[in-house]
Order: sequence, then C-alpha cells, then structure tokens
Amino acid sequence: MSEENKRDDRSAENKPPESETSAQPPTEAGAEAPVEQTKEEVTEPPSEGDAPVPERRKETDEEKAARRKATLEAREAAKAAAALAAAEAAKGGSSASAQPAGESAQGATEAPAAAAAGGSSASEGDAPVRRKETDEEKAARRKAALEAREAAKAAAAQAAAQGGAPAGAAGVGEGAGADAPPPKPPSPSQPRLDRVAAMLRELVAEDAVEEAYINEANDHLPTLVIKNERWGQAARLLRDHAELACAYLRNVSGVDYETHMEVVYYPWNMNAREGYCIKVRTDRESPSVASVTPIWETANWNEREIYDLLGVDFPGHPDLRRIMMPDDWVGHPLRKDYVPLDPEV
Amino acid sequence: MKGMLKGLGVTLKTMGTKKVTYAYPDIPIQMPERFRGIQYFDPEKCIVCNQCARICPTDCITLSGKPNPDPEKKGKVIDTFDVNFEICILCDLCTEVCPTEAIVMTNNFELAAYSRDELFKDKEWLFDNSTNIRLDNNNIGSPKGGAK
Amino acid sequence: MIRTEELLLNVGPQHPSTHGVFRIIVKLDGEVITEATPVMGYLHRGTEKLAENLNFTQIIPYTDRMDYVSAMTNNYVLCHAVEKMMGLEIPERAEFLRLIVMELQRVASHLVWWGTYLLDIGALSPFLYAFSDRERVLGLFNELCGARLTYNYMRVGGVKWDAPEGWIDRVKTFVKDMHFRLDEYHNLVSGNEIFLSRVKGIGKYDAETAISYGLSGANLRCTGVQWDLRKAEPYSLYDRFQFDVPVGKNGDCYDRYLIRIAELEQSLRILEQALEQFPGDGDTMGKVPRAIRPPAGEIYVRIESPRGEIGCHIVSKGKAEPYRLKFRRPSFVNLQILPKLLVGESMTNLVTILGGIDIVLGEVDC
Repeated sequence: MSEENKRDDRSAENKPPESETSAQPPTEAGAEAPVEQTKEEVTEPPSEGDAPVPERRKETDEEKAARRKATLEAREAAKAAAALAAAEAAKGGSSASAQPAGESAQGATEAPAAAAAGGSSASEGDAPVRRKETDEEKAARRKAALEAREAAKAAAAQAAAQGGAPAGAAGVGEGAGADAPPPKPPSPSQPRLDRVAAMLRELVAEDAVEEAYINEANDHLPTLVIKNERWGQAARLLRDHAELACAYLRNVSGVDYETHMEVVYYPWNMNAREGYCIKVRTDRESPSVASVTPIWETANWNEREIYDLLGVDFPGHPDLRRIMMPDDWVGHPLRKDYVPLDPEV
Repeated sequence: MKGMLKGLGVTLKTMGTKKVTYAYPDIPIQMPERFRGIQYFDPEKCIVCNQCARICPTDCITLSGKPNPDPEKKGKVIDTFDVNFEICILCDLCTEVCPTEAIVMTNNFELAAYSRDELFKDKEWLFDNSTNIRLDNNNIGSPKGGAK
Repeated sequence: MIRTEELLLNVGPQHPSTHGVFRIIVKLDGEVITEATPVMGYLHRGTEKLAENLNFTQIIPYTDRMDYVSAMTNNYVLCHAVEKMMGLEIPERAEFLRLIVMELQRVASHLVWWGTYLLDIGALSPFLYAFSDRERVLGLFNELCGARLTYNYMRVGGVKWDAPEGWIDRVKTFVKDMHFRLDEYHNLVSGNEIFLSRVKGIGKYDAETAISYGLSGANLRCTGVQWDLRKAEPYSLYDRFQFDVPVGKNGDCYDRYLIRIAELEQSLRILEQALEQFPGDGDTMGKVPRAIRPPAGEIYVRIESPRGEIGCHIVSKGKAEPYRLKFRRPSFVNLQILPKLLVGESMTNLVTILGGIDIVLGEVDC
C-alpha cells in the first residue's frame, strides 16, 4: 500500500526513483518539501540524480504560465486521487482496492508533471548554502512552494486515508542550485532558528514551517514562514513551550505584497531576551489568518487594524470590526490597489 | 492637614518667583534665531530647480519657470511660486534643499486668517515677507553646505 | 423596589480627560461600569499609507505628528531603522545630541503626563507647574531646531542642527533646576491623602496580564517586570550610562505614578552624564548617500519612548520610499487593556485609569 502510494507521489512530482530513499524517513517526508526548497536553503549538489537541475535557467513568461497550469492540473489530479483513495479506504478497502485510484492519479499527473519539470528535489535537511535572490526568483519560488505544498497536502491526505503511510512527495522546486555564490559564515542565530524550526515540525506538523531564514540586517533575527493552516497551533507552541516561552507579542503588521498578503508577528521571550519573526501568508482574494487573540491579547486591536486597513480576515477573533476607519467605509486603504470610493474625502 | 500646609508652602514660595506667562499678543514673542516661520522667497535667487517642490512632504509648493528674458543668460527664471499655507507644515525641508537660499525661513509665525483663500500665498507676498529673515538656514542638503 | 436600568453613556470624543479625540461608550449600572467599548480613529490620518509615497526624509515630519508629546523619539525610531538597514555610521556628536534630546523629551513628556493626570484627578495647580517646566524644555528645543513640538530634527545619518552656542550649558542649568523642582513635586503630591485615595489600588493588574496585553513602558514596569529597552536591548549610547529601571509591585495607578516620577529622576541622571561626556567637537551628519535607498529587506526596530515600546517595521524594496511602513505605537497597544480594567469600576475611576495609561491620541490613531 505504502509502496504504491509513494510511487504515486513521486510520479506526481516528477521525482526519480533514486531519490525515494532520501524521502523515506517518515518524519522527514514530503510534507517538509515546501520548507526545504525555499528561502536560501538550496541543496548543495543535485545529488538526487535530478536531471533537470543542471539545465536550470530563467523561465520565460510563457513557460511559467505553462508550468503553473500544469502543476495546477497535477494538483487537481492528485486531489481527486486522494479523495478517491480516501473513499476507498473508508470502505475498508485493501491496498489492492486503492491501487486503481493511485494508478489513475499517476497517469493523470504524469504528463503535466513532466511539463512542470524543474524540481530540484530539495530533500535533505538544512543545507546552509545561502545566496541572495532576485525578486522574480523569490516570487517564482514562493509560487512553487505553494504548489508543492498543495501537492504535498493532497498526498498526505491520501496517505492518511490509506493507512497512515508516510507521504514521500518532494516539491516542485524552483530554487535553482546552479548559480549559488559561496556560502556566508553561519549566523549566530542559526542554531536557534534550526531549533525552533525543528520543534515546530515535530510538535505542530511536518509541514508547519514553509521557510526559515535569518534576517541578518535585523540583528540576525530568526524568521520563519508558517503554513497558514498551522499558525494557530504554532502560536500556541511559541507561547506555551517552556523552551520558547514567547509570552510577549511585540508587534503585528500586515503587508500587502500584491501577489499575496502577509501578516508578520514578533513574539518575544522576555526572560531570554530573544524572539522571532513569524510570517503567515495568505492569498489576496479572500485573505484569512487564524486569530491569535486568544493566545496573545496584544493581537486584538492589531488584528482589527489589519482587518480594517488590509482586509485580512481573522477567524477566531472575538470582535473583528473596523477600528480606524468608519464602520461604513468601503475598501481597505492600505492595500496597494486601493482606490477611494469618494476621491473628495 | 499636613498636606494642606505643604501645599500652601509651595504656593507661597511660587508667589515670589518670576512670572512664566507672556502678555502675548500685546507684547510680541521673540522667537529664537533658528525658528521656522513663514518662508521668505527671493525670486532673483531662484534657479527653478524644483527641488523644494519635490522634497515638500505635503506638496504645498507649486512653481513654474519661464525662459530667461535676458538672451545673454541661460537657464530659467521663476514665473509663479505659490505656497499653500493650509497644508504647509513649516518642516524646513524646502529651505534645507534650496541650493541658492532663494527660499528661507523667517521668524514670523502669525498666519491666522478668516478665509482659507487667504492662506494661499504667491511669490509677491512671500517676497514682501522680508522681516526677521533667518540668517543660518543650514543647508545640510546642498552641496556647499554639505555635512558640516 | 427601586427600578434600575442600564444607562448607556458616551464619554468623548470631545472630552478633556480623554486627552484628545477618544470616545468610550460605557454601560453603567448605577455608578458602576459594566461594559466599556473604546471607539477611536478620529485622528487617523493614514500616516502609514502616506509614507508609502514619500521618501524617508519626507516621512520624518510625519512622525512628529504621531506622538506629538514625544516627537523626538518618533524621529529617532524611523531614522534608526533606516540607518540600520543601510548600515550607516552615526558620528558620536550627533548620537549624543540625539540622546540628549530624547531624554529631554522624556522629561517633557512625563511632565505633561504628571500635570494632566493630576488635573484629571482634580488638582489644578500641578498642571501649571508642570507646564511651566515643560515650557523650558520646549524653549530649548526651539533654540535647537526652530520648533516647539514638531521638531523634524533628526535625519537619516545624523541630526539637522548642531547645538547652538551655550545650549549645552543651558541644558545643564535646566537639569540642575529640575532636580529641585522634582523634589518639590514629589513632596507636594506623592503623599497627599486625597491623591492616594484616588489612585491606590485602582486599575490593578498583574504581570501576566500586562505581558499578555503587550503593555510596555511604565504600564508594564508597574507590575514588577524589569523591561526597559534602554537596558534590555540597548540602542543609541544608552549602554554607556548608569541608570536604574524603576519597577513597581502592585500594578496599580499609584505605582505607575511613582515609576514615572522615578523615571524623570533617571532621565535627569542620564542627561547629567551625557552632558558631561558630550564631545566638544565633531560632525553632526554622517556619510550618507545622496539618495536614501535602504536595500531590499525587512527590519523591525524598537526603542523606549516615554510611553513604552515604539517600533518601526519597514519593508523595503530598495526604493527611496518604503514598500510598507508600520509603526508599533505604544499608546495603541497599551490602550487595549482599558475595557478590561474599567469593568466593575465606578465612573469616577474611568478618568483615573485612562489617565494612568498615558496615551496620546495622535499615536493611537496614527
């Protein structure tokens, strides 16, 4: 069953079989992919026999679009397969009964996934090779991460349905390992970052951390991007875990990046005098981030302000109303595309 | 009771001290040298470089230039120069960037008016505002002032 | 039986004890508040939105107008954030001047609070004393940068003006005089029985609550938490000077009062040392590129304003204007605890508690 399942995932992500082994340990499995292939954590040599890597180059717009479409399709297919498999499993189906579903998914995804190509199968842990990225690269990478995450999710769901086998999906990465400059000396905060990332993965969810890097300019502040769905749990861990003990939330900001929204939190441990920068991303059309007001009271008005000025919804907030603008105001002024309803005001 | 006596003590002590209030507006207040009051504008000095309009955080300066009437000379001369004191915040940035000190601060600060229209000042009005001109405009933004 | 009913009372937005345009809707059961809903935004000018279309030099005057009682610290937090992003060196003399004006500002700000707080409670004359002393600080600032409230004094890379002749000596005289005045104030008010009965045990909360609400400044320290950013995460030159961080233990309005008075003394102490060590010569402006363009990235810096932690979160895309600029305003965060504190208190204590938090509405609404 799990064998089947793994092969399925792999094919969905266009991952050569050899890499299978590296993705094997259950806890390090594919769910982690979004993290690894993101931000500056570029795997060193493409050791996985990952064919596309050496040919890495910038994509043209059409290629990008094509890839996007392809991944979308792949994702859809994977989801469908997962659903099918789940249904099957619910029926008490054996591995054999689940097989068709898996196979169909495989078939459906094969072609698009090939088009999607370009996945540096970033699968070992935290290879500390870092480099600066350009904005486009970042955006592309982010997008890729999102897709990979979706795929991983689908795979995980499928795995769960089929009896808890670890999902072996690795991301469709965009991280380009070809042109990495020489590594920088490791930051003094690196151990702290690794520690918190490991804790979040272990105690919240495998896929809780999407990105983890050090913000050198800001006193080497460990910065983590947390998966939107996991944020509530992660926040609780940050505050309650004896080792992290971030009882103080310094600041909450919302940022409109035009491609997506981001809510930035700065939880702090006052005794150890150290803290983190936590980012939670959400899409722009219906932005939503779990409220942390039940965890840190500080967030209450800050979230109201972000809701008011950026339009981010915070499910779980006790009293989400506008705070700065009048209640009947139309639009969210801090959005980049905000146009006042009445220019005279 | 003790508190009351203490209070009275302070009151009595303060009675003998120098007054801290001013008899403004009967006696005008003398502002220190660096005071940022209503700008004085000298059209002769202006080279229409637009820097003041660009640095203005509230966009209260509008200006336009015209070709120099003297054919011997190159460049432009100022045609219109208006400051809208409804929104001017007297932040000192226009005088800081002005390379020729054509716009400088004065010590005058009385701007109250009955109508908003009166707060729209043109270059003639600003040129007439020629009293109490600030001497040191510390152009940290200009090349000659530099970072001193 | 007497028939009782709930009374809905609107306090503000135009009310002297709200220290600006702030409105609280309170539900009263007799004299006792059963629910309080703060309403704000009357002074919202969209500073953060405006800043997205301004370059960093142009934003500085806008920061003056946030916490207008403590504009120097606002200037500093923005300049400091940009300098940190760009990795600029600030000449020592400029940094000294910044520190001196920030501490003077703290004195002025606490004096305003002291005067208005006692005015809220019903004592008129301390207000006049406090303002006459504050006037001296404003006079000093006026001499230094030509404005009394909206200074626009600091620049990315240094300060706009060097100290005028004799200014440092005048600050020294002020600090000396202020010591005496403080003793007098302390003597006059701190033991007054009417005052004590109005503030002792009022608006109490514990350290855990304070931390959960993200309080900072005296509002946090009154519960015994030793958290002053000048000490905890030193910026500027604060690590060069000796000073204490006064903390309370009861977390009530009286402790907040005592802490602010003690902070005044500590500020004077820092000022004395800074004025003593003030370098006789030097630049007031560091080497700054002509165009101030912080490299693409993100930063959050925070300093201790008189009201608590003022933070500046900049997202830069390498342009002259910030992509996003967010201010963490201490008044805004501190005010959140108000509805919680008011429940169960009598109406008269509303003013005491609100005043004790020390808010500036320009900063709450931003």
